[in-house]
Amino acid sequence: MGLLKPERTDSAPHPRKEPRFPEPLSRENLKKVFAGCADYMERRVYLHGDAGRTVTVCYLLGMTRNERLSDYVLRPLAQDPALSRVAEEELFSLLQYGALYNLAANRRTTLDEVVNDLILGSCALFFPGQKDALTLPVPTEEKRSVGEPENEPALKGVRESFVESIRTNTAMVRRHLKAPELKIREHIVGRRSRTMVDVLYLDGIADPATVERVGRRLDDVDIDGVEAAGNIEEYLVDHLNTPFPTMPYTQRPDRFCQALLEGRVGVMADGLPFAWMLPGTIDQFFKTGQDRAFHWMTASALNVIRWLCALATILIPGLYIALVTFHPEAIPVKLALSIVAAKQEVPFSTVFEVLIMLLAFEVLQEAGLRLPSPIGATVSILGGLVVGNAAVEAHIVSPAVLIAVAIAGVAGYAMPSQDFAAALRLWRFLLAILASAAGLFGLAAGCAALIYHLASLETFGVPYLAPFTNGAGEPRGHPNLLRPPLPRMKWRDGARHTLNRRNQR
Amino acid sequence: MRHGVAAMLGIAVLFLSGCGKAALPYAREMGDMALLRTMGVDEGETEGTVRVTVSTGRRAAGLQGESQPPLVLSALGDSLSAACLSMQGLSDNYVFYGYVDQLLVGEGAALEGVEPVLDYFSRDGELGLGAQMWLIRGSTAQAALEAGGETGVDARLFTLQTDSEMGAAGITRTAGEVFSSLLEQGCAYLPALAVTDPGEAGGGTVLLEAGYGVLREGKLVGYLEGEGAKGLELLTGQTAADIIEVALPSGTAVARVTGAAVECEPVYQGEELVKLRLYGRITAELAEFHDPMDQEELEQLRKALEERESFRLQRVLDQLRSWGSDCTALGSQVGRADPGRWEGIQGEWERLFPSVPLEISVQASLRRTYGDLA
Repeated sequence: MGLLKPERTDSAPHPRKEPRFPEPLSRENLKKVFAGCADYMERRVYLHGDAGRTVTVCYLLGMTRNERLSDYVLRPLAQDPALSRVAEEELFSLLQYGALYNLAANRRTTLDEVVNDLILGSCALFFPGQKDALTLPVPTEEKRSVGEPENEPALKGVRESFVESIRTNTAMVRRHLKAPELKIREHIVGRRSRTMVDVLYLDGIADPATVERVGRRLDDVDIDGVEAAGNIEEYLVDHLNTPFPTMPYTQRPDRFCQALLEGRVGVMADGLPFAWMLPGTIDQFFKTGQDRAFHWMTASALNVIRWLCALATILIPGLYIALVTFHPEAIPVKLALSIVAAKQEVPFSTVFEVLIMLLAFEVLQEAGLRLPSPIGATVSILGGLVVGNAAVEAHIVSPAVLIAVAIAGVAGYAMPSQDFAAALRLWRFLLAILASAAGLFGLAAGCAALIYHLASLETFGVPYLAPFTNGAGEPRGHPNLLRPPLPRMKWRDGARHTLNRRNQR
Repeated sequence: MRHGVAAMLGIAVLFLSGCGKAALPYAREMGDMALLRTMGVDEGETEGTVRVTVSTGRRAAGLQGESQPPLVLSALGDSLSAACLSMQGLSDNYVFYGYVDQLLVGEGAALEGVEPVLDYFSRDGELGLGAQMWLIRGSTAQAALEAGGETGVDARLFTLQTDSEMGAAGITRTAGEVFSSLLEQGCAYLPALAVTDPGEAGGGTVLLEAGYGVLREGKLVGYLEGEGAKGLELLTGQTAADIIEVALPSGTAVARVTGAAVECEPVYQGEELVKLRLYGRITAELAEFHDPMDQEELEQLRKALEERESFRLQRVLDQLRSWGSDCTALGSQVGRADPGRWEGIQGEWERLFPSVPLEISVQASLRRTYGDLA
């Protein structure tokens, strides 16, 4: 090995170890697994006070609920006289099938299973001389209470939001959709985190191929842990080289259930207070939970405004650069005179001005997000008003540029999905640069590239632009730019290959 | 992915090396431009030359301040292109023609022919045929532009244009309308302006309406003014601020013409056009009269209006026929009335138009918005 070359390390993936703990099941081995874990607890109990008959209860402090463990497990063990009278060989069965008051009791034969149960909040009972163990789920229910969805506020709708507990979330969905056809498949993702990720769908409506595809991709995810949305999203999506989100998500159970009714497949991960709705098509990022609550005309108008805002946020800076720098003849005379007047004494070129202002806008936004909300608001006011106004008065920036960038920025906030708005922000920069190089020609070329890019995207076999073009003769759904009256929306979108397309009489 | 990145890098290298410069539009800062608003064309002082005078509006010449006068530049050239190009050397800023929306043509240039000017406007990348076109009667476009002084003439021209759209001033025409008339009928009319001394005009107005210039084969053949100009407005159905005063036994009545329409009906004998009947219909508003008038006076007023408008129509048609200039496209109306026979006489229309007998009749209707008419 050369002196200047770094030592090469083996970069091959580590094989997933199955089972994780191959040792035989015993209390001693379990103790070894949790060696160095301060929260691992053991308690030896005499059955009905009989010192000759003991059982050891193992659990992780904090993961179990003390009251349940005491009342449903320890109290019967200590007080039930039957436990001291029954034959030793029948003791295990008696505890498994009724002597303990817990909702469930599982007989485990491997160390792996017991370790996993303990981590999920069970306690394990070890009997001297027995090879098996009994695990009883007594998990704690400490979690954030169900509150209002902060990112998707409801004016005329349910005021509950998903929380970090996946079981609470699935229960919320069950309460909304009281159909036995609602299926919930569980997958464990993450070698270390062992995160529960559930796939929800309505049997008989959702496309089975999509369900299988989602499940297969989840099973293929082999990472350390799921601590952020990206740990699921970036492993499930078809295209990583696009800034556009392809997995829409919601905090609202009602919107999630509506997506299931439309034939989508839901994905939830324990620890994440939202759920994904697959496959994600572009129209999903323009819809809000309120669309079906408002009058159809209002909802349609608001939807059109959102699309116009998307165009405004992506095009205005580039259009301003192209028109002012390359094609001034296309600007109405009076507007041109105003721009000329505003541009007086500004030392920078229009291109530089716009790009710097766009950058400043992003910086202000980022600074506002990273700071606690009271300071963030102050930074926004200080940056937006004070610095902006001072820059204009000092003739560093022309007011017309400030207005153009501000309109583009504010229009971006009209997007219901901030992921989509972020993608538009990136493309806004790209289009502005292209317009700086080649005017309207560059802008048009950039727009063509954008449409080409969007048309090339697919999510779980469904074109990203499916609401507008299904391709391959697929039946289309209802118009997506407008929201027709609900009694007339009788069909599910054909591109999702739902088993049952009719959604009402 | 790699192919895409390679292609993008290749394009970037192409443009950064300067090879793509010819393919891309050229960037210019608007703040460094002199935005021209008005352009005047005159015949040059020497044979075969042309003088172009241009003016920016207020606050339209680069870093021009609020109080500074408009920039007026004038250049002589062997051609319009040469004169326009030499204008670049006269200004500190880039002279931009994209906002020229007023075109003034001096009388001398109009006598020589306006078609080269209109052709230049139609083919130039920055200029366009949407500009309003005016004829400077008895003077030059340069004089008109320079007479604007510190305020410039573009505001006055814009006011005339707006007044015309509101019916408060005479007809305005764009360069495109004039050009298409010349191409289709071989003749056209355009509004004429007279340059006056600011002191004489009172209030600083330097350009006053001076009837209409009539072009035949692109060259100025004469002016319509007074009753003839009103007749042209009537013939084209664009009445503008026409007030008619009629003396009646019980006082003077003032009528304001609010609408007019003239239809032309050809009368044939066999395949021969023997007569043109012109039916005019005007609506007028009784603007001033002290009392409700009786039926006899009302009839008297109506007849007076009809006679006046008939006279105007007769006057304008006499003048146009004497110049052989069918600039209001009566021939097209004759053609639309009977396309089959028109095919036979279309080639002779130039001969027929000045000589075919006319029969003019006008019907007036009066009303009063507030109060009784009679």
